[in-house]
Amino acid sequence: MRTTYRVLAYLIVFLVVVQAAAIAYFIAGLGEWIMGGGVLDAATMESESTFFPGLIGIIIHGMSGTYLIPAVALALLVVAFFAQVPRGVMWAGVLVGLIAVQVALGIAHVPVLALLHGIVALAILVVALIAARAASGAPVGPAARADAVA
Amino acid sequence: MRVRPRFVIAVGATLVVLAPLAWLQQASLLPGSYSVMDMGVVDTGGAALGHHRHEDGVGRGVDTIVETATDPVVHVELAARKDGDRYTLNGTSPGPEIRVEQGQLVEVRLVNESVPDGATLHWHGVDVPNSADGVAGVTQDAVPVGGSFTYRFLARQVGTFWYHSHQLSHEQVRNGLLGAIVITPPGGVGATDVTALVHIYDGTRTVNGRAGDSPAAVGPGERVRVRVVNTDEGPMPVWVSGSEFRLVAIDGTEVQGPTPVRDVAVLVTAGARADLELVVPPGGARVEMGGSAALVLGAASARTSRPARTLDPLSYGTPADIGFDPAAANRRFDYVIGRRPGFVDGWPGVWWTINGGMFPDVPMFVVAEGDVVRMRIENTSGEVHPMHLHGHHAVVLSHNGVAATGSPWWVDSLDVPDGEMYEVAFRADNPGIWVDHCHNLPHAAEGLMAHLMYEGVTTPYRVGHEAGNTPE
Ligand SMILES: [Cu+2]
Repeated sequence: MRTTYRVLAYLIVFLVVVQAAAIAYFIAGLGEWIMGGGVLDAATMESESTFFPGLIGIIIHGMSGTYLIPAVALALLVVAFFAQVPRGVMWAGVLVGLIAVQVALGIAHVPVLALLHGIVALAILVVALIAARAASGAPVGPAARADAVA
Repeated sequence: MRVRPRFVIAVGATLVVLAPLAWLQQASLLPGSYSVMDMGVVDTGGAALGHHRHEDGVGRGVDTIVETATDPVVHVELAARKDGDRYTLNGTSPGPEIRVEQGQLVEVRLVNESVPDGATLHWHGVDVPNSADGVAGVTQDAVPVGGSFTYRFLARQVGTFWYHSHQLSHEQVRNGLLGAIVITPPGGVGATDVTALVHIYDGTRTVNGRAGDSPAAVGPGERVRVRVVNTDEGPMPVWVSGSEFRLVAIDGTEVQGPTPVRDVAVLVTAGARADLELVVPPGGARVEMGGSAALVLGAASARTSRPARTLDPLSYGTPADIGFDPAAANRRFDYVIGRRPGFVDGWPGVWWTINGGMFPDVPMFVVAEGDVVRMRIENTSGEVHPMHLHGHHAVVLSHNGVAATGSPWWVDSLDVPDGEMYEVAFRADNPGIWVDHCHNLPHAAEGLMAHLMYEGVTTPYRVGHEAGNTPE
């Protein structure tokens, strides 16, 4: 269970990195496309077709951010109940909370909130790293001692 | 074996976290098929509830609400095919333009040659009898491969309309199962009549199926009416380079007293139409479709970027009688669009809500024939929604509390941006069951789909995968 906790926490770290890379890819692709004569309006944006390289970036960012990362965080929280990781439940809980805030900021459609979205992303990254590191140390608690005896 | 208390606590905590989610997920599952008569939260708009329910076994079936006129007939055959990802009608996409004169009886036979999921045709903006509305699972069953369905309606209105499938429409419309239908007054419109049906295929915007610049065969000094049809999922700004123009019709209704304008964009929302009229200048003109495609009129001329100003139909043109008194409305509805996390048919997501309810807990707006209906459409969801009511045209009364002062602004597809509110009114003069949904069709598939239900009308058709009908 400790290993599962560690793997899931590092998975969140990895997915946050993917989020940053994907959105940067999208912005760069969009910029290049527009400078090359591309015109974007709402109808084009909503057409759900890949009209420039990099568009996949926002699709990955949206799908992973709305579904995958919340699901992994929820799994981490459940695993935390069983894995005796020091402050494991607390860190997983903080991650679930931060990710909920992050999803809300992501769909808020208030451009200035995107500033917070970028900052909260770093907070998620740091907390996920702390959680992963917490699960890397020696086991604690009676069950761990029992494991050690066994 | 001794169960460790810590383990029990962990199991308990897991249940506390997951059980509510599992319950919500299960509770959101839709039955394999259902009738729209059983769907939604009944909203009578402040009137007493008449007998609209079908349990008492009375009522007119939607299939019996048919066109009674019998001639003169314009007959059209349309063969729907699926070819790879693309859908065609009579081998082309967009399908053939149907052009009829006002007063003619239109009879269109749809033959499904090879659309595996079935297909229908909806006559977007034409206020047809309910049996011809083409909504799978509501007014008919989707036409299976090898089957056919005949749509019959009298061309009462004059204007620019379009047709498209209303079966799996978010996929079939995007991939081409659509075309234009134009109803002209007897004697024509007094100008060269050019249709500009705009559709994005695989990320490329086209005008009548052609990417980039589409030349129209017109000369300098010629008066031209350009019928712009937006068949995509979001609003598209349209403007004219090199000429002034007049916005002469919106959604198939003529604008009263349209004044010439220039350096202004007209926002044509998803599903909507705008007719622009201009006299081609010696240097030519361009009707810019969002800046990524254009209709070229006359000599080649320079393209311009989107003007900063957008024409507001609320104050454009001159007032005229609308034929009824909105102040005498006996039904008042709210259509408030929001968004929150939850489950729709078992799928987690951040889904649309109508009046706070998530699909299928969306309103069933109940009216009776002859009612005057007011509806307040408010958007708090974070994204724009092009709202489309079938079978009726509504007149815009106000926008964000500002009353309309221009020509009567009749719509069937209304752009409602985030944070904005419109009040519209219409007469309940076309009995049936009519869906009232977002024409960003993926949004409709995500549950932004309510319906208007006339008292005493029933439907024998059912929505759902078991019935083979998926209207969104
Ligand atoms: Cu929408």
